[in-house]
Amino acid sequence: MSYFGLDRFFTFLKTIKNYGGLKASLYKIYRMDSLRPGTLVGTDKFGNKYYENNAYFYGRNRWVEYAPQYGTDYDGSQVPAEWFGWLHYKTDYLPSQDAARPKYKWMMEHTQNLSGTPGQFMPYSTTQPKVQAWVPPKK
Amino acid sequence: MLRTTLGKVLTGGSLSPKRVTAVVRAASSQTGKKPEQIEVFIDDIPVKVDPGTTVLQAAAMIGIEIPRFCYHERLAVAGNCRMCLVEVEKSPKPVAACAMPVMKGWRIKTDSEMTKKAREGIMEFLLINHPLDCPICDQGGECDLQDQSMAFGSDRSRFVDIDHTGKRAVEDKDLGPLIKTVMTRCIHCTRCIRFASEVAGVDDLGTTGRGNDMQIGTYVEKMFLSELSGNVIDLCPVGALTSKPYSFTARPWEIRKIDSIDVLDAVGSNIVVSSRTGEVMRIMPRVNEEINEEWIADKSRFSYDGLKRQRLITPMLRDNTGELKPVDWEAALLTVAKQIRNAGSSIGAVAGGFADAEVLVAVKDLLNYLGSEALCTEHTFPLDGSGTDLRSSYLLNNGIAGAEEADFVLLVGTNPRFEAPLLNSRLRKAYVHNELDVALIGPKVDLRYQYQHLGDSPSILQQLANGQHEVNKKLKAAKKPLIIVGSEVLARPDGSAILAAAQKLSASTSPEEQNWRVLNVLHKVASQVAALDIGYTPGVDRIRELNPKVLLLLGADDGAIEKSDLPNDSFIIYLGHHGDHGASIADAILPGVAYTEKQATYVNTEGRAQQTLVAVSPPGRARDDWKIIRALSELLGAKLPYDNLNEIRDRLEEVAPHLTKYGEAETANYFKQAQELSKGIKTQLDNSPFDVKLKELSDYFMTDSISRASPTMAKCVQAVLKQKQSKF
Amino acid sequence: MITTKILNLLFILFFSCQCHSARTVTCDRKMAHQTIRQNLKQVKPILSLDKEEARKRVLSLYKAWYRQLPYIVKQYDIPKTAEQLKQKLREEFTKHQDIKDVRVIDMLVIKGQMELKETVNIWKQKGHLMSYFKDTWEPKPTDFLSKFLAGKE
Repeated sequence: MSYFGLDRFFTFLKTIKNYGGLKASLYKIYRMDSLRPGTLVGTDKFGNKYYENNAYFYGRNRWVEYAPQYGTDYDGSQVPAEWFGWLHYKTDYLPSQDAARPKYKWMMEHTQNLSGTPGQFMPYSTTQPKVQAWVPPKK
Repeated sequence: MLRTTLGKVLTGGSLSPKRVTAVVRAASSQTGKKPEQIEVFIDDIPVKVDPGTTVLQAAAMIGIEIPRFCYHERLAVAGNCRMCLVEVEKSPKPVAACAMPVMKGWRIKTDSEMTKKAREGIMEFLLINHPLDCPICDQGGECDLQDQSMAFGSDRSRFVDIDHTGKRAVEDKDLGPLIKTVMTRCIHCTRCIRFASEVAGVDDLGTTGRGNDMQIGTYVEKMFLSELSGNVIDLCPVGALTSKPYSFTARPWEIRKIDSIDVLDAVGSNIVVSSRTGEVMRIMPRVNEEINEEWIADKSRFSYDGLKRQRLITPMLRDNTGELKPVDWEAALLTVAKQIRNAGSSIGAVAGGFADAEVLVAVKDLLNYLGSEALCTEHTFPLDGSGTDLRSSYLLNNGIAGAEEADFVLLVGTNPRFEAPLLNSRLRKAYVHNELDVALIGPKVDLRYQYQHLGDSPSILQQLANGQHEVNKKLKAAKKPLIIVGSEVLARPDGSAILAAAQKLSASTSPEEQNWRVLNVLHKVASQVAALDIGYTPGVDRIRELNPKVLLLLGADDGAIEKSDLPNDSFIIYLGHHGDHGASIADAILPGVAYTEKQATYVNTEGRAQQTLVAVSPPGRARDDWKIIRALSELLGAKLPYDNLNEIRDRLEEVAPHLTKYGEAETANYFKQAQELSKGIKTQLDNSPFDVKLKELSDYFMTDSISRASPTMAKCVQAVLKQKQSKF
Repeated sequence: MITTKILNLLFILFFSCQCHSARTVTCDRKMAHQTIRQNLKQVKPILSLDKEEARKRVLSLYKAWYRQLPYIVKQYDIPKTAEQLKQKLREEFTKHQDIKDVRVIDMLVIKGQMELKETVNIWKQKGHLMSYFKDTWEPKPTDFLSKFLAGKE
C-alpha cells in the first residue's frame, strides 16, 4: 500500500475527518496555509491549540492553531509565555508537566503585542510644557 | 530726605557735567555765558572740558574708558572702589579718576606703569576676598569683575593664604522674592545703596562695619521692597545681587536678545527681551534717555513668567453644555463669522490695555464696514468739551523727561509711584537735584519724596481753578509748573469737570518757556493713547446703550463690561492672550499673542509711538491679533485690504501718521481751544473724594492679565504683606 | 539675462583693474562701454556658437529622451504610462522656454544629457523618476487665509 502512496491518501482522508469534514478543512487551509495531521497536546486559556506530530522533522513537528476568535488576525505574540518554551524547543515539557515553572500571583496576565491597535503604548514627555494653557473654569 | 548728593559735596558744590547739562538746559536763559573751558591732556591727547568735569568723564570724551566698579553715571560719586586710579603727572600718588575734577594743564596717564600697577594692586585686593565660584554664579559672563580682572588684573597670583584662614565669608541677606543675594561676592561698591537712597528713595540699604568687616545690608531684618528694586541687579557689578526668578536658568552667551517695548504701564519703557529655546528668560532695561533712562519698574522686569501661564493657546467655542471646548481655527472663525453675520451692524468692540495699534485699526475698519461705530476702550475718559478730539487733552504733553526740569508739580488724583514708576523717579530726581516742589490732591500716598498734601476733596481743585487757594501763588510764580492729572479720576462721572478745572488752572499759570506744556494726563494702560488717536470712544457706555448682539473683547480683562450688561442672546468673542476675566465670560476665544511675541505698535502716555519686536514665537495655535481680524473679515466677505505687516502699517499711517514714526513723541497743541470748549461743560464737580486704586506697594504688583498670571508677582504681594507684619 | 549682467559686471571689474594698474589710462566711460561690448562678443561658448546651433542641440536632446520613454516605463516599472511621461518631458522642456542666453541653454542641454544617461543606464531608482511628478508634494499656502489657517508666514 505504501508502495503506491495510498497510505498518504488515507492519512489525508483521516486528517480531513479529524478536522471536521471537508468544509472545515478547506477553511483551515485558507486560514493556516496547511493541513497537517497531529495530536492535540494541550490548549491554553486563550483557546489556542498546540499540536505535535513527530513524523515531521524537527522544527516543523510542533505547531499552534490559534483560537477561532482571532480569525485570520493571528499573531505570534498571542502565544502565552508558558507555551512559548515548548513551541520553540526551549523545553520538551508541556507547561502542565513542568514542575519547576514559577507561579506567583503577582505575575501578569499575558497580553499580545498591541502595536498598531488603540491599546498600543504611546511614549509621552515627562517634562513640563513651556507654556501652561488656560483651563476654562467648570460650570 | 536726601537733597544734596555726595557728588555735590565731593566736587565742592559744583555739579557733574551730566547734571550740569541738565541744569544748564533747564536754565539756559539764566546763565547767559558758559564758563571757560579748560584744556587737559589724557595720554598726551589734548581735550577741552568744562570746569568740574572729572578725569573719568574727560577720558570718556575721547573714548578712553577707565575701569571702574563704584562709579555710575546716574548715581552720586562714591570713589570707594579705587579701580579708576590713574597717574597724573607731578602728582605723587595716583588719583581716583571718578571723583577728581580736572585742573588746567593736567597730564593724565591712563596707561602708564604706575596706573597699571595701581589697577593690578586693587584687583588683587578685591580678589583676595572674592569667592572663586564663577562657574555657579549667575553673573558669570556679564560680570564686571570677571571682565576687568581679565583686562586689568595681574597675570599671576600672590595669594597663598587659602589653606590658612580662608576667604572672608558673609551671611546672605533676604531682600525679598526678587533679589537673590550672595553677599560673599560683594565688593562694596555701594551702587545698590546709592540707587536705593537716590533713585528709589528707599533708605533701607546701607553698610555696617569697616575694613574687612564691612557689610552691605539692611541693618535690621527687612526686605528691600520698592517698585524699582530690580534695577540694583543690573547695577551690581558682581554676582552679589542677582535676579531670583532668573537664577540658574540661563547664561548670557546662550541667550538671544531682542529690543522691545514694555506694555505693562503707559510709560512704554524700552526693554531687552532675552529668550532661549523659545522661552522668555528675562527682561532687562534698554537705555532711552527720553523715557526710562536705564531703569525699569519691577512689574515690567519680573512679570514675564506670567507670559508662560494661563495662556490661551487654541481657539475655543462654548458648546451646548456651556463649556468652552478647544476647536481648530477654521471652526472657530466660521462660527464667529456666522454670529457676526446674523448680528448685522449690532456689534461692538471693547479694547483692553494690551491692544496694539494694528489690531485697533483692523477692528475699527472691520466694524465700520459692518456699519457699527461702537468701538470703545475699557478705560474711560471724559467726552464733554473737546473730549478726545484734541490730543492735548489726553497726553502727558510735557513728556516724561520734561518732568525732570519742572519746579512745581501739582498731582491731581494720581499716584505716579505705582501708575508710572519711571515718571515718579523723574519727579524724585527733580526733587533731589532741582528743588522741585510737589503738591498732591488725592489720597495721601507715599511717593518716596516729600510733597504738600492738599487734601482729597474735589473742592480743592475747584478752589485752585478759581484762584482762591494758597497754592495758586506758588503755581503762578513757578517758571516751569506741571499739572499731572491721573486718568483714574477722569473716569469718574464728573471727570469732564475735573479736566475742565485742570485746563482752567493750567491756563492761569505763566510758564517761562513758550512750548512748556503745563497740562498733563497720566494714563495707566499701554493701549489707551493709540486707541484714542485712532478714534475709539473711551468708556463702555456706548456698548451699554447699544446692547450689541455680538461683542468683541480685545483683551479687555478689567471687567468694565459684564455678561449681565448685555442681552441674554448676545455672543461674546474674546481676542487676547490670557485666560482671565474676559475669556471666562466669552462664548468664543480667539487666541492672540502677547507683547513679546508680536511686532506691534504702542503709543505711550506722552504720545510716542514705539514698536515691540518678536522675541519668541506664539504659543500653540495663537496668531497675530490683527491677522485674526483680517482672516475673520475674509470669511465675512468684508476683506480688509492688508495682508502683511507693511500693508497694515501703511493703513496705520493713513489713519494717523504719527503711529509709524517710531521713537518720536508727536506733541499736541490747541490747549486754548480745548479750554474754550471746556467752558461749555455742564457737569459739576461732585463731593466724593478723589481716590486711586494703587495706593500701596501690595496693590502695584498685580494689575493686569499678565501680572495676575505671574507667580513672581504673587510672591511680591505676599512679601509686602509679610513685611507689614514685621516690626521694622 | 542674469548671466549677461554678471558678465557685464565682471568685465567692468576687469577693465577697471587694468585702469588702476596702468594708471596712465584715463577711465573714459565711453571707452569702457566699447570694451565691454567687444568683450561680450568674445564670450567663450560652452558648446554652441549661435542660437540656431543651440536650438538644434535642444531638439536632438528632446528627441533622444522621447525615443527612450517607452523603454524607461518598462524598465523602471513605474505607475505611469509612456503618454504621461511624454507630457512630463514636454513640461520639463517648456519650463525653460524663455531662456535666451545661448550659454545657459547649452548648460541645460548638458544637464539634460547627463540626466538621460543616468536614467537609461538605470543609475537611478524608481523614486528619482517619480519625483518628477511631485505626487507627494503639497503646495505651500499662498493666499492670506490659507496661510493663516496653516500657521505659516
